Amino acid sequence: MISMIFRKRKHRLKESILRGVFEENLKILGKPPFRISERMPLSAKKISLSFLVILLFILGHGNSLNLTLFQEKQTLASSATKNYFQTPENPLTLLDNSANLSDAKAFLKIPGVPLSRTFGLTVKTVMIDPGHGGSHSGSIGKKGTKEKDITLDIAKRLKMRLDKYGQYNVIMTRENDVTLPLNKRVALAQSYKADLFVSIHINYLLSRPTNIIETYFFGSPSDDTTLKLAERENADSQYRLSDFRKIIEKIGDTLKYQESKKLAASIQKSLFLNISKEDGNVQNKGIKTAPFLVLLGVDVPAVLTEVSCMSNSKEEIELNNETHRENIAHYLETGILDYLNKGEASYEAKRR
Amino acid sequence: MKQKEDNILFVGIDLGTSRSSICASNSAKEWIESYVGWPKDFISLKVVGRPVLFGSEALQNRLSLELCRPLEHGIIKEGIDRSEEAVREIIKYLIEISRPAAEQKIYAVVGVPADTLKTNKLAIRRAVSEFVHSLMVVSEPFAVAYGMNLLNNSLVIDIGAGTTDFCIMHGAIPAEEDQKTILTAGDYIDDQLYSYLNEKFPNSKFNKNMVRQFKEQYSFVGKSPGEIRVELPVDGKPVMHDITNEIKRACESILPAIIETTTEMIARFDPEFQVKIKSNIVLAGGGSLIRGIAAHIQEALKVIGSCTVVSVDEPLYAGSFGALKLAQDMPVKYWESL
Repeated sequence: MISMIFRKRKHRLKESILRGVFEENLKILGKPPFRISERMPLSAKKISLSFLVILLFILGHGNSLNLTLFQEKQTLASSATKNYFQTPENPLTLLDNSANLSDAKAFLKIPGVPLSRTFGLTVKTVMIDPGHGGSHSGSIGKKGTKEKDITLDIAKRLKMRLDKYGQYNVIMTRENDVTLPLNKRVALAQSYKADLFVSIHINYLLSRPTNIIETYFFGSPSDDTTLKLAERENADSQYRLSDFRKIIEKIGDTLKYQESKKLAASIQKSLFLNISKEDGNVQNKGIKTAPFLVLLGVDVPAVLTEVSCMSNSKEEIELNNETHRENIAHYLETGILDYLNKGEASYEAKRR
Repeated sequence: MKQKEDNILFVGIDLGTSRSSICASNSAKEWIESYVGWPKDFISLKVVGRPVLFGSEALQNRLSLELCRPLEHGIIKEGIDRSEEAVREIIKYLIEISRPAAEQKIYAVVGVPADTLKTNKLAIRRAVSEFVHSLMVVSEPFAVAYGMNLLNNSLVIDIGAGTTDFCIMHGAIPAEEDQKTILTAGDYIDDQLYSYLNEKFPNSKFNKNMVRQFKEQYSFVGKSPGEIRVELPVDGKPVMHDITNEIKRACESILPAIIETTTEMIARFDPEFQVKIKSNIVLAGGGSLIRGIAAHIQEALKVIGSCTVVSVDEPLYAGSFGALKLAQDMPVKYWESL
């Protein structure tokens, strides 16, 4: 009897180890976890199926139904003048502007059912977008440091880091100091069939000398400052008004919305957790929605991250330090990988 | 749990820095030195007669070849040389010599140095996947532990050529903190021996390959098994040299780091289980063939209490055997999902 119990225990141990090996290899391949033995109860299956049907129905009829899922779609044009701003209480939580949730939005909020995983989607091509470039310098620090140079350097370092894995096709919208309008950046992402889009920027606060970190995904502006920032970043878009309608129609893209939010949260968390160890005064502004055209035009999960703040003199000096830029690239890498690994990576990056 | 499908050949491969081996479910069992050589030009091709050479044959013909040891320092050097291609050639060759039947599917578990697994997971999969139908990659010490059924409360120390990997098994797949890699391993001994011999016999001519052969033939720690004399040319004439002390010094040079890391790994483990781990320390890899090494480490570890250190029976095949066992035990549903 005792030997039978012992044998059973050993058998279970072996099974769990074999499963562990299998799951490790799934992870290497970037595949979602396997679910053979974790059978979903029938009732849960029915609920999931109903949600899926509702979602598909809503997506199919979004244009004719006046659903709050598409609130952004309806309010975007007026959002530039609308004052519905919030300040994040929990810096790592999304500032969700919609008041009433539709069924589809409720579906989005169900924990554990991200659509990317539901549909088994994977990421192959990562596009990194160093903000500004060429005649558009972006913000310029008091010592003359230009945003376009810093974003390009960080982007190159991030590309090198992601290339190491051999798993992703990492492409940059620009690899040197050239002027690249926003519509070209979007076109590049579309032509390379990017699966993920990360735009790197450096903030500049006119009124405050603080250092802040914030990450955006597309949506109506979270506050007045955000709106101003969006106006600044959209300045060289070169989109025509006729393009705008098509662009606006894309806001209802549920998958993009959900995944962009997750990607933004992951990057912001990694950046803040790690940078705050070096700079105790850095402020976490969390993830926010903002109408950045570069994010809207790209069809896939897309974020714009303000990794540092040029108006802070100390930070400007730091940004001229290679190690600091490498660290920022590392934190971005950690954030992106954590998003890709669905939360299984560690946010704690080792500093150089 | 074992799969009995006739149309599947399960293989376990140990892809080592110095040697690679394969064990297959059709009882095939082979090893080669992890060297791959391609003829430098058409004359070399004519001399060696084949587009690619492996192991000792590649070493013998190294002057005519572009030689590659793909996992030098424990990792694939991506983009720097032909490492990935060399890994591909080694795997292809190993699978060929395991003689799979026509139409037979090949399900492979490949054990690689722990550092390679950390940094080159995908490169390895890329290099191997075209020759197999389904593939899993694991760390070498874990494969050894699985093969020896040491799934709980054991410490495997895999002394390879490029790295020494430590892996604590505690009834689950080892996490990163259960594994550690140090660079004091076989190649380190070669470097030390080469410099000691250069120092002692400045007029003698020898190369790293000869030094490696001396090590493999005569390595020992502790009490000398007798005088070790080798032939080295001086001004073109063969002269016998006594290298006993140099062999001893070089082989013992890796011990402090191994003992220190072993102590550290045990010390940071749950104190309740430390005693069990101390009585279950297994040496694997080519380094476990150094005469007297298990006894020496066991003696040195007395400072942390009584320990039992043993070497695996067949260091050349311990990794590939464990990988084969994993392959055979792995449920088919898992294989089919990869």
